[in-house]
Amino acid sequence: MAAPRLTVISGMCAALAGAAGSAVGWSVWRAAPVVDPIINASIATVAGSLAVVAIWGPIAIIAQKQFRTFFARLAQNANEGRSEASPAPIWLRPLARAVQAPIAIWSDRTAALRSSVRETQIQHRVAEAERLHVETILHSLRDAVIVTNAFDELTMANTAAARLLGFDSHKAIDCSIDDLIADQELRQMIRNSRSSGIANKQRHVEHAMIDDTDEQGSSRAFDIALVCLPEPSGGCAGVVTILRDITRDKEISQMKSDFVSQASHELRTPLSSINAYVEMLIDGETQDEQSRQEFYQIIKSEADRVSRMVDNMLNISRIEAGIQTAEYSDVDMVEVAEHVIETMTPQAKLKDISLTCRHGPLVYTAEADRDMIHQVIMNLVSNGIKYTPESGRVIVTIENDDASRSILITVADTGLGIPPEVKSRVFEKFFRVENYKRVAKGTGLGLNLVKHIVETVHKGSVGLDSEVGMGSKFFFTIPYTKDDAAMLRKVAA
Amino acid sequence: MSTPLAKILVVDDEAHIVHVVALKLRNAGYEVVTAGDGEEALELALNEHPDLVITDLQMPYMTGVQFCEKLKQHKDLAHVPAIMLTARGYAIAEEDLARTNIRVVLSKPFSPREVLERTKEMLSERNLPDSEQTAA
Repeated sequence: MAAPRLTVISGMCAALAGAAGSAVGWSVWRAAPVVDPIINASIATVAGSLAVVAIWGPIAIIAQKQFRTFFARLAQNANEGRSEASPAPIWLRPLARAVQAPIAIWSDRTAALRSSVRETQIQHRVAEAERLHVETILHSLRDAVIVTNAFDELTMANTAAARLLGFDSHKAIDCSIDDLIADQELRQMIRNSRSSGIANKQRHVEHAMIDDTDEQGSSRAFDIALVCLPEPSGGCAGVVTILRDITRDKEISQMKSDFVSQASHELRTPLSSINAYVEMLIDGETQDEQSRQEFYQIIKSEADRVSRMVDNMLNISRIEAGIQTAEYSDVDMVEVAEHVIETMTPQAKLKDISLTCRHGPLVYTAEADRDMIHQVIMNLVSNGIKYTPESGRVIVTIENDDASRSILITVADTGLGIPPEVKSRVFEKFFRVENYKRVAKGTGLGLNLVKHIVETVHKGSVGLDSEVGMGSKFFFTIPYTKDDAAMLRKVAA
Repeated sequence: MSTPLAKILVVDDEAHIVHVVALKLRNAGYEVVTAGDGEEALELALNEHPDLVITDLQMPYMTGVQFCEKLKQHKDLAHVPAIMLTARGYAIAEEDLARTNIRVVLSKPFSPREVLERTKEMLSERNLPDSEQTAA
């Protein structure tokens, strides 16, 4: 606002000066006609000039203002991309008409450029957001992902890759794979993929690498996928390498395969007996009725063995798959243990083994599946009798363990005991102590089922104390209630 | 009975299997000795010098293949051929078999008839008296 006000004040001063000049010139000329004509002429010229200034000064100032206003608006419209004509004063209209056409073109171009810039900015923001998304996805992957350029330098690595290969994913950018990847074979795979130059073709290689993060330096198996990134002109711009740790998958696959192999072997053994004895009967290889009865008995017991094995396998498999539903009720553990003892006493008597149950005067109940608990105690007592020499003892003890809010049941025997080196394996599927195989028959599944019923179904725990030649003590706990089981699980977690 | 009976050693940790194979062979006229594991079988083989061995693969102390390897390493028993009964025929590597005198591998469940037939074949290859010749 200061400049226009100054302009108006200057105009007014000039007008006043012009008026004053004219008045002075006229009075001098009138009052002193005899003064020197040269001086008179000078005074008249000055007075005339002042008069010119007094008249044209304000006009020039107003014109200048109009001119500036018009062009400022014109420039503003052009800058803002508005192509509408700006109103011009009459004296400026010819000039306005001349400049408005090129200025309109300029305005259109500016508008187009502005729109293009806005679009680019939006695209940039979208691309940035997408980049962040992709990076977040890549960093959250469990697979290690590394991207290298045509010079085998790292352009991107996710968190899993940095952890696996032991580098800082930000500092490692632009470093050569020779400096980042210790595994020579992996480096060679990346180089080969890049030099093959076949874009978008994925190649899978199974490769074992030493795990640097593991103190023991164990070897882990990886499925490595290599994809060559295409270059617009053809060829390979770089390589994406994805390393998937398949160690666990391989272990599971091996376990499955071992299970099938073990199961088929274990089933073939009794089937083999059945088959052979039936064939002997068909071929009339038995001379007398007593031998035939013996054969029938063997066939029956081996068929029972197959049946038990299949039952155990199915039960374990159902529990493992989570489809075995427990029927919970308040189970009196003493009643269950005494029932098992009653059932097993004839078998114990054959070997003159004393089979007893010990418990205090309290009530020992837990929320559990009665049949499953019966099976657990039965399997443990049966093992106790099988692996205890004649005249030994098998004792079932039932106690409350208030500290863990569980019932503690122990089955102790005076049997062969379990060698320390295989103690940790006795609950594995099909595991049997090699040297005891001839002592008694078994499916190798009984203790595994015990473990599953106690730990998987009832969230209790199983354990074992044993000394070779002194006997074994198997124990398990069953939480008083399902709520206790849930609480114990939380505490354990 | 001028020629001695062929003697066969049957080895398996499953008593029922040993029993049935031994009965089949005895009924055919062979002399049979039996063992429940590789160690016992090796000791028996050294004492009894069998003409043929029929063994299981999976046994306590040592496998059937390990037992047969030891047989082959022993100068007095190196010539004794063997039949292997196994529930895992596919699991025995050729190079393992090559270190033994195992000539035939029969899968469980097996047929006692087939065991007897193979026994006869192998003993006749070795030109040993089988039960029928002996009976004649």
